[in-house]
Amino acid sequence: MTTLAIYSNKGGVGKTAAAVNLSYLAAQTGFKTLICDLDPQGSATYYFRVKPKLKSGPKGFVKGVKGVYQSVKGTDFDNLDMLPADFSLRKLDVLYSRFGNSKKRLKKMLRPFANEYRFIILDCPVTIGILAENILNAADFTLVPLIPTTLSVRTYKQLLSFCKKNNYDVTKIYSFFSMVDRHKKMHKELMVTVSKVFKGVLRSFVPYLAQIEKMGIYRAPVAVYSPTSLAAQSYQNLWDKIQKTILYPQ
Amino acid sequence: MMTNDLRFNLPDGHDENQFVHHLADQYTIKKEPFFAQKVTIYDTFDWRLFNKSFILQSSGNRLFLRKLTKSEILHSVEFSRAPVFIWDFPAGELKDKLQPIIKMRALMKLVDLKSRSRPYRILNPDEKTVARLIFEEIQPFANKRKPASAVHLWLKPVKGYPKYASKLAKSLKEAGLTIGTEKEFFLKVLPSAGKQPGSYSAKVDIQLDPAMRSDQAAKVVSRFLLNVMRINEAIFEKDLDTEVLHDYRVAVRRTRSALSQIKYVFPAKTTDRFKKNFAYVGKLSNDLRDLDVYMLSQDAYKAMLPAVLRDDIDPLFGHLREKRAKAFKQVARGLKSKKYAKIMKDWETFLNMPPPDSATAPNAELPVVDLACRRIYKKFRGVVKTGSKILVNTEDKMLHVLRIECKKLRYLMEFFASLFPRKKMNALIGQLKRLQDNLGDFNDLCVQQKYLLRVAAALPGNRQQQKKTLVAIGSLVETLDRKKDTVKDAFATRFAEFASPENQALFKRLFNSHPSKGGA
Repeated sequence: MTTLAIYSNKGGVGKTAAAVNLSYLAAQTGFKTLICDLDPQGSATYYFRVKPKLKSGPKGFVKGVKGVYQSVKGTDFDNLDMLPADFSLRKLDVLYSRFGNSKKRLKKMLRPFANEYRFIILDCPVTIGILAENILNAADFTLVPLIPTTLSVRTYKQLLSFCKKNNYDVTKIYSFFSMVDRHKKMHKELMVTVSKVFKGVLRSFVPYLAQIEKMGIYRAPVAVYSPTSLAAQSYQNLWDKIQKTILYPQ
Repeated sequence: MMTNDLRFNLPDGHDENQFVHHLADQYTIKKEPFFAQKVTIYDTFDWRLFNKSFILQSSGNRLFLRKLTKSEILHSVEFSRAPVFIWDFPAGELKDKLQPIIKMRALMKLVDLKSRSRPYRILNPDEKTVARLIFEEIQPFANKRKPASAVHLWLKPVKGYPKYASKLAKSLKEAGLTIGTEKEFFLKVLPSAGKQPGSYSAKVDIQLDPAMRSDQAAKVVSRFLLNVMRINEAIFEKDLDTEVLHDYRVAVRRTRSALSQIKYVFPAKTTDRFKKNFAYVGKLSNDLRDLDVYMLSQDAYKAMLPAVLRDDIDPLFGHLREKRAKAFKQVARGLKSKKYAKIMKDWETFLNMPPPDSATAPNAELPVVDLACRRIYKKFRGVVKTGSKILVNTEDKMLHVLRIECKKLRYLMEFFASLFPRKKMNALIGQLKRLQDNLGDFNDLCVQQKYLLRVAAALPGNRQQQKKTLVAIGSLVETLDRKKDTVKDAFATRFAEFASPENQALFKRLFNSHPSKGGA
């Protein structure tokens, strides 16, 4: 089992869109894949037309009780299951801090899935608290979508220094450019600079495209309703890159 | 609650539309695009995957491993050329899983199939898929005119929505459909391509009746072995893998063992003639088998060498490869020779002859269970005796003698296994096998050492190259020596386990408590 967290400490960078599309592509390779919607807003859950309800409430995430495993739903797609969000997940940060070994609870909760799933993809909410540490501990690799803007890059720096300070292996943190506007000079320039300065920046990016926003209308991964679009192609490229660089490096 | 895929058999002349129409009264149903794919199923000649309930199949550019009883994919890997041997697979989970099952056997294409599917999705009010129905037609790939060899309807529940699937299953059953399994399908599709799953196995599996006359029982055993020889002899020239010859040779060896160990059941003259004949048959392929073994352990040899010498050994294997090609041709010629054909024909004729009315040998009319008990118990005591001597004085030669004794005992126990309680027999054979593994390892090391020394003298190539290769061989011989010592050290423990008082008591109870006694 490989756990891949799509995470950022900044909002609106395309985390959920990436998580939904990547989990779909992972499942398409024939491997059983689970997408976990950790975000109380439940956008990924909505995209897959699943009801945002955990049988266990947020406690399942803390204590790994039966209910959380029974909450898994099959999506419309082969080999892809979902652990849906629940509005009560907003309390997760607080709940984690209340219990012992508070930073490895998520990892422990996910462990029983190892027998069934080859990939677990975590769609994470914006956080840099205890939940973030749970995510970093649970994930084999963390993937950070990066908008090529100064603020976004600045937050990324914050994340890296946070990881270094708390002894998280930064070589397991990768990033890719998201919501790229190819007409903006600044986007292009920043992409070049950032790729030089930071390690683990994947040479593949997702442009800012209306096709991706339409996910809300079609409630499906891009490749399903618009398989030949640039949007579908860019997620496919990103997934190929992830396989080559992160999952099966030569 | 329903969580597994169900495969319903569809009756001939079923109407897909009518089924769907019927269901549409109760569910929102969405038709999906039709798709067809080529599916190829692989297994080894002796059905190793099928016997472990696995299906290895490819579609598109991926290989998939499934469990025979389920439809989900266990492992999958991309490939450009269909792998034949385990070493052709890329490193990974699939390779790790297959390695202990197929070992050195080649994978063969069993059958190419064409699967044509029409999927339907069952939707809930959110237009979320809550179950799937797939009409699938399977037919042989090459022969498109042939009618479909299987037609069925898959009901695939979607996780988390078991109620929908249960309800659907119920209505399909009410419509008169019956559930079929993956195994059933496998067993239906393969015969349509002329393949019988599990039809070949080199394992001795002979059913005998305890009261059967011993000469007849000996013929039943021999006929089984002859069949194994015939099957492998027929595919020998394809050079599939080294196991074809190996299985063949084991059958020859077992035949020789049967002739000498199932004593006094045939006229002495006959027994002697066939003993000689099969000694000749065995010898035909001795060289080739030895060469096969060296080639198989190529990687192991290399691993034994220090890194600086590793490439220097290549000329040796190049040389061996050439010798193997020659030896292979020689065996092929041998198997096609008149002499060989006559030996086999004579044997077959003899085995199929009706039993003579009057006994032609002292044990011919003895109930086989009596003879089996006697022979096994006697051999067992022989093994214990020889082994005990070795414990006092470990001579290489004696280990060799013991190895042969054990083999004879093993064959006897396998020939007659059906006459005794299965569980106990398996346990005893297992224990014997562990002892044999130890002795076999020791013997292999001795043989390899000897061979390397012999071949060193006859290596081709220029002198400089030769010298380097000779250094590498020298290093190998030394490593083998050390390994021999380790194996030898382990012998005492293995033997003590085998000759333990409990084991001796069990042997006695099983084979020496029979009412009729006497020397064989």
